[in-house]
Amino acid sequence: MWTRSLQPARDAAGLDTVLQLTAIILLLRPFEVWWVAPFVLAAACLSLVVVGVRRSPITWLLLSALVAARIVAVWPLADNHIYLLAYWCLAIGLALAAPAPAATLATSSRWLVGAAFAMAVLWKAVLSPDYVDGRFFRVTLLTDERFADASMVFGGLTPAQMAENRKFLEPLPEGAELLTPPPFVEPPRLRAFAAGATWGGLALEAFVALLCLLPSGTRIAIGRHASLLAFCATTYALAPVAGFGWLIATMGLALCGPDQRKLRGAYVAIFVLILLYSEFPWTGVLADLTGR
Amino acid sequence: MTPEIDRAGSNRGRAWRSWLPVALLLVVAGVQVALVKTEGLSPWKGGGFGMFSTTDDAGRRRVRVYVTAPERSEEITISPSLEDAAVRAGVLPGARQLTRLARRVVERERRNGRPVEAVRIETWGIEYAPDTLAATTRLARTFDYRVDAITATRP
Repeated sequence: MWTRSLQPARDAAGLDTVLQLTAIILLLRPFEVWWVAPFVLAAACLSLVVVGVRRSPITWLLLSALVAARIVAVWPLADNHIYLLAYWCLAIGLALAAPAPAATLATSSRWLVGAAFAMAVLWKAVLSPDYVDGRFFRVTLLTDERFADASMVFGGLTPAQMAENRKFLEPLPEGAELLTPPPFVEPPRLRAFAAGATWGGLALEAFVALLCLLPSGTRIAIGRHASLLAFCATTYALAPVAGFGWLIATMGLALCGPDQRKLRGAYVAIFVLILLYSEFPWTGVLADLTGR
Repeated sequence: MTPEIDRAGSNRGRAWRSWLPVALLLVVAGVQVALVKTEGLSPWKGGGFGMFSTTDDAGRRRVRVYVTAPERSEEITISPSLEDAAVRAGVLPGARQLTRLARRVVERERRNGRPVEAVRIETWGIEYAPDTLAATTRLARTFDYRVDAITATRP
């Protein structure tokens, strides 16, 4: 077991793109913990340029341990995709030490995506008190600066209305009430946008979870890829969590067979698209163009 | 059985390589749900994938700290040296994080030559009314720390 962890996997050529994209994820969003970041960056760089490092299980097992150490160091502040990144690096390390690395990683990927999305659906549909009644997106579209441009472009709000709404949403002490509360403007378009985000997001996540957790068949596999690609292409156009999107796209790529070239290309394209979403303020440009 | 499992799991002794990462995910997610329900952890954090499911995120949680000593009882501002501990205590207002913050407060007060006998920490959240979205602050937890004894209460 241990000697196998130190040797590059022989049958891992088909996984190279997956491993390279995972290394790029680690480089794109470096960790801020000083005693973790340099080692993660060094391992990611080496794994990009040195095949032997990239295909060695120990590289990814160490990376998984470093990511986990970062989670512990900043407990409880780490975002969820950092946890998923730790599991993913562990899955890669274990798969590279297995007799059939690509198949082992495909199975891990499917279960990891399915479980993560199932938990997300559980939180939204059952455990959260303010998601299914629409409150979460109604509030977030107005108070989260990262959604402000989209709220104005798609919700039909003016900057002045946005400012007034934010004043309205400032909290009062429990039981207090203003004599003349600031106006609250919620155009039908904004309500529809919030409802679309609420139910569209939940439905898409439920599809991904279901199709990843169901036993594989040809139709299920097609639906799985379609839902994953649709989720990435739509969600990360607005959601400011590119790190999660890159990880999902990379895990989707790991589900592809070596002969599925177009599908593999689609996942790589989605990875780049999420990169563009995160760096190009397209909703801001649209807001400027539409005079919002 | 899936083609992947057929190939990867043909040897049952090796199938654990596929299952271990997801088993870890499920264990951590289970602990996260428990911490949310028992310790007040923000659903956005802790590895349970509750992000974008609720307005109860870290940005809407506030920590207020009061210090008492003979001839002194006042709310103190969260200085940069306390910020990290305060944010963690806001996100997870359990005894461990709150005690950590209280100890930092005591250290800081003593460093500045100010007497301190007890520290009270309040964690606050924001709730939005279902229809009107009217926002109100809500006291989530009160924590009292003394040098010789600790008590935590919920309102």
